[in-house]
Amino acid sequence: MKILVCVKRVVDYNVKARPKADGSGVETANVKMSMNPFDEIAVEESVRLKEAGTADEIVAVSMGVAQCQETLRTALAMGVDRGILIETDAELQPLAVAKLIKAVIEKEKPQLVLLGKQAIDDDANQTGQMFAAFLGWSQGTFASKLTVAGESVEVAREVDAGTEILSLQLPAVITTDLRLNEPRYVKLPNIMKAKKKPLDKLTPEELGVDVSPRLTVLKVTEPAQREAGIKVANAAELVGKLKNEAQVI
Amino acid sequence: MTTYIAPTLEMRFVLNELAGLDTVNTLPGYEEATPDLVDAVLEEAARLASEVLAPLNKTGDAEGSKLIDSKVVAPEGFADAYREFVEGGWAGLSMNPEFDGQGLPGLVSTAVDEMWNAANLSFSLCPLLTTGAVEALATHADDDLKQTYLAKMVTGEWTGTMNLTESQAGSDLAAVRTKAVPDGDHYRITGQKIFITWGDHELTENIVHLVLARLPDAPAGVKGISLFLVPKYLVNEDGSLGEHNDVHAVSLEHKLGVHASPTCVMSFGDRGGAVGYLIGEPNKGLACMFTMMNHARLGVGMQGVAIAERSLQAAVAYARDRVQGSVPGKQGRVTIIHHPDVRRMLMLMRAQTEAMRAVAYLTAAALDHSHHAPDADERAGFLTRVDLLTPVVKAWSTEVAQEVTTLGVQVHGGMGYVEETGCAQYFRDGRIITIYEGTTGIQANDLVGRKIIRDGGQGMRGLLADIEAFESQLDAAGEVCVAIKAALIEGRVALARGSDWLLQTYANDMYAPGAVAVNLLMLMGTVVGGWQMGRAALVAHDKLQRNEGDATFYQSKLTTARFYAEHVMPRAAAYLAAVLAGSESIMALDDEYF
Amino acid sequence: MSALVVAEHLDNKLNPATLAAITAAQALGTGVDVLVAGLDCGAVAEAVAVVDGVNKVLRAESEAYAHPLAEDIAPLIVQLAPSYSHVLAPATTTGKNIMPRVAALLDVAQISDIIGVESPDTFLRPIYAGNVIATVRSSDPIKVITVRGTAFAAASSHGGSADVETVDTTESTGLSSFVRADFTASDRPELTSAEIVVSGGRGMGNTDNFKLLEEIADKLGAAIGASRAAVDAGFVPNDYQVGQTGKVVAPKLYIAVGISGAIQHLAGMKDSQIIVAINKDEEAPIFQVADYGIVGDLFEVLPQLSAELDKLKS
Repeated sequence: MKILVCVKRVVDYNVKARPKADGSGVETANVKMSMNPFDEIAVEESVRLKEAGTADEIVAVSMGVAQCQETLRTALAMGVDRGILIETDAELQPLAVAKLIKAVIEKEKPQLVLLGKQAIDDDANQTGQMFAAFLGWSQGTFASKLTVAGESVEVAREVDAGTEILSLQLPAVITTDLRLNEPRYVKLPNIMKAKKKPLDKLTPEELGVDVSPRLTVLKVTEPAQREAGIKVANAAELVGKLKNEAQVI
Repeated sequence: MTTYIAPTLEMRFVLNELAGLDTVNTLPGYEEATPDLVDAVLEEAARLASEVLAPLNKTGDAEGSKLIDSKVVAPEGFADAYREFVEGGWAGLSMNPEFDGQGLPGLVSTAVDEMWNAANLSFSLCPLLTTGAVEALATHADDDLKQTYLAKMVTGEWTGTMNLTESQAGSDLAAVRTKAVPDGDHYRITGQKIFITWGDHELTENIVHLVLARLPDAPAGVKGISLFLVPKYLVNEDGSLGEHNDVHAVSLEHKLGVHASPTCVMSFGDRGGAVGYLIGEPNKGLACMFTMMNHARLGVGMQGVAIAERSLQAAVAYARDRVQGSVPGKQGRVTIIHHPDVRRMLMLMRAQTEAMRAVAYLTAAALDHSHHAPDADERAGFLTRVDLLTPVVKAWSTEVAQEVTTLGVQVHGGMGYVEETGCAQYFRDGRIITIYEGTTGIQANDLVGRKIIRDGGQGMRGLLADIEAFESQLDAAGEVCVAIKAALIEGRVALARGSDWLLQTYANDMYAPGAVAVNLLMLMGTVVGGWQMGRAALVAHDKLQRNEGDATFYQSKLTTARFYAEHVMPRAAAYLAAVLAGSESIMALDDEYF
Repeated sequence: MSALVVAEHLDNKLNPATLAAITAAQALGTGVDVLVAGLDCGAVAEAVAVVDGVNKVLRAESEAYAHPLAEDIAPLIVQLAPSYSHVLAPATTTGKNIMPRVAALLDVAQISDIIGVESPDTFLRPIYAGNVIATVRSSDPIKVITVRGTAFAAASSHGGSADVETVDTTESTGLSSFVRADFTASDRPELTSAEIVVSGGRGMGNTDNFKLLEEIADKLGAAIGASRAAVDAGFVPNDYQVGQTGKVVAPKLYIAVGISGAIQHLAGMKDSQIIVAINKDEEAPIFQVADYGIVGDLFEVLPQLSAELDKLKS
């Protein structure tokens, strides 16, 4: 089968996000960027499916500024076969991203689409569900395990109460959660090979997608800081405070 | 304990703006090393360094390598980390693609090696030695040996060692006694070698020892030394491994630092003689060994940069966290990074680390040009520069690393003397680097003897001319750069005077070269470092003018270069004064009065 | 127009997160209707009918809704949505699964995980794992929202008297089917829903030492978490990870043991009601967010804590 995997370029998880001085957004200039960690899990899973013989081709798609190419190259170095960049300087919100991915899916016709359950920048957790809806496809969100069997895929989902197992009819959209796998370290020879793998560029206009934002970010601020509390001398005092003062045990 | 974050932004700056990646990647064979590819390589290496190697640094130090049942057992986690390293293809980064290397420029591997060394010095010694052995084999061994051994060593599946030192033969290799006796198509090696880094381990299924030994009819002294390849396990015709060769680690040294790296006493021929194969010509072992050593010298210079960076990161993190005392103009107790003297120490660490990095990368780039430039004269020109700078990168960087790691401890105050912060380990680990691969004294003798006196100062004059030609560029680059220029001129003139003095004096004073060598070398390092800081400042100034890139980064580049000019360059005058004082007071005291 | 809240329920019990979503809906200043979709969900519909402030309960009974499959529930909500200005659901794994699908079918944006209502079209929501709060305004005719339960008080579960109205159901799409649930695999609660979380960091030293935490967790009925450093060091599996790249938790009590408090970890737990830190480094950043801190060697403190908890029980 053919797999499409969606990767987003985000502020690296090691970087503390800070609002810009004017509060118009988060400072991203000259900040270290890398692949959204949940998408990395999606890429890893797709590569494992190919290694297991379940998938025969993996295409990665990313969208945004030209530098998203670097994120695609990382995916290519992990084992993806080719990349598609939808290049735009416009602000992309999940609804628009879902429409762009839908357009790519209609071109590429994959049987399975993998992506992270959410991106660690906007924490929206929407995109996969949205394009699944556009296409009328099944969806398996928060996947912690997936098994492809014939025309369906069985997905274990990490839900609040525990694990839920669903059977999805293919084609399907899977959004990946932490437990699914641990992404590999990229091998140096594969970084070199990734450079030679095909990477196509498209624009939202070419795909005929209106990406105008529906939400306006009025401002971003830092949350109220937690006040440091008190030091207690020992475990006995701690248990006393938790029981009598905080009343949480 | 702090983690290690590879300074990729700074590394990219040095690669692109100072070392000239954009010209290195026009050299035949290096076209693939485009900035975006190099970025990707740096990012992934950074990940492996900080997530896999760095976490083993402290545990490896505490546990150490052990000799159990005649086998060396590396600390927990090292075998897995080494497997990850090899499977990742990192071992052969700059090696020949013909033998499964990745064929990237040495400049790129210099940056990546910095990460490995900073993350875990003990671990990185193993691939460092392997690379040296690969270079020696690739340059000097016959095709049969290359076919059998090289590919496995390039990929890191087998590691290499350098067996030079014997108890009576340290810096003086003329005293080597290990014997090699012809026995059919091979030789039988007997003798004992000491200080053999990663001489034995179970990280890989085989180890390839390169061993200096004497043939029965060999002339005395260094002209009678040959180099042999002695595998830990003999290799069958079909490439499979045969029996254990007659070579064993018989004990491990108890050392000040790099505890995870086993430093072995290796015994050859306890049961009749280890099977060895001659590399290159008989009695030409020293030349082969220099191939290994030259690579290793730049590599060890890089370790100086690496351990300084690691120490700096720890010191900065601690200074930001530790609350102590108060300062004028700030309310209440402050973190110690606010104290002027702590800042002085951090700036000394930072400025010198940046200067050392720039000089090391510049030398690596020159080495790439010296191998790959299409024009023979160009290659020769670069080789002269590499030869001149190699002892400086090795000795100056490792000596300054002592100062930096000491300051790293000092910034931590009492906690610096306690092991748990980690900075004491950097100090201990880093102490070896001025010693192995030729001590500072040996490097300085190499500089004054082979690199300055031998060519009558020609290479040095070329360097001085390059610095002088650069100085005028600083004029139009604002106040800070003009101040940097003044310091650079003073330094350059001092270096010229020191070098001229040596050339005029050495014939009349036989002790002069040895007596002034280290001061001249340190003078040269300081000035060449200042030159690179000046170049960095100029780039930063231009970028700020054009409003390009990260203003904070370039502003701090400018400030750091200014600090170097004001606080480090004055040392040039002191080194010069010591050079000009000559050998007299050094040699005057009678031996017995010491 | 009023707001529609999608109720979440399991085994005939209303998920309390629904009550927080009702409070958020009330903050919009419109009337609040609640959709209860399921199979044999009469009891839940009755329970919702008495929740304070609910105008009307819409009950949708169908085999297709026996499990809250997004593919089958979303069309039902989409069918009802045009009569509402807002459609809200708790930001649980169920709500997050369904609501983006609803928004897409309505061709509107979805607003995730709101923690505040500024006006009927303007909301506060955390981004970057709560390191930054964004104020966003929606220009869509219908606002589709998920609500972070810990950010709103629960509506009172009695005092109301809403009518229960049965609504037309939609057909099953057959796209997905429920196979089984594994909700009781662990004796310990799930990290994200636990009321108490005990987490260990790199200071735990190794895997074995996590047993010390298990002992404490068992006595408190707590879930076990870990910092990324502990996960990266291989002490515990990845799914223990609390932080920006792991689980975001906000329990009543969070006990951080041997965790220094890296930014990315703080992002995942700083909304906890009470934070306790045990660390030998007095200057560790974790103490800056901790309500109660013990400076000391965790290998001494944990056994003492365990003993104190025993005393508490007896």
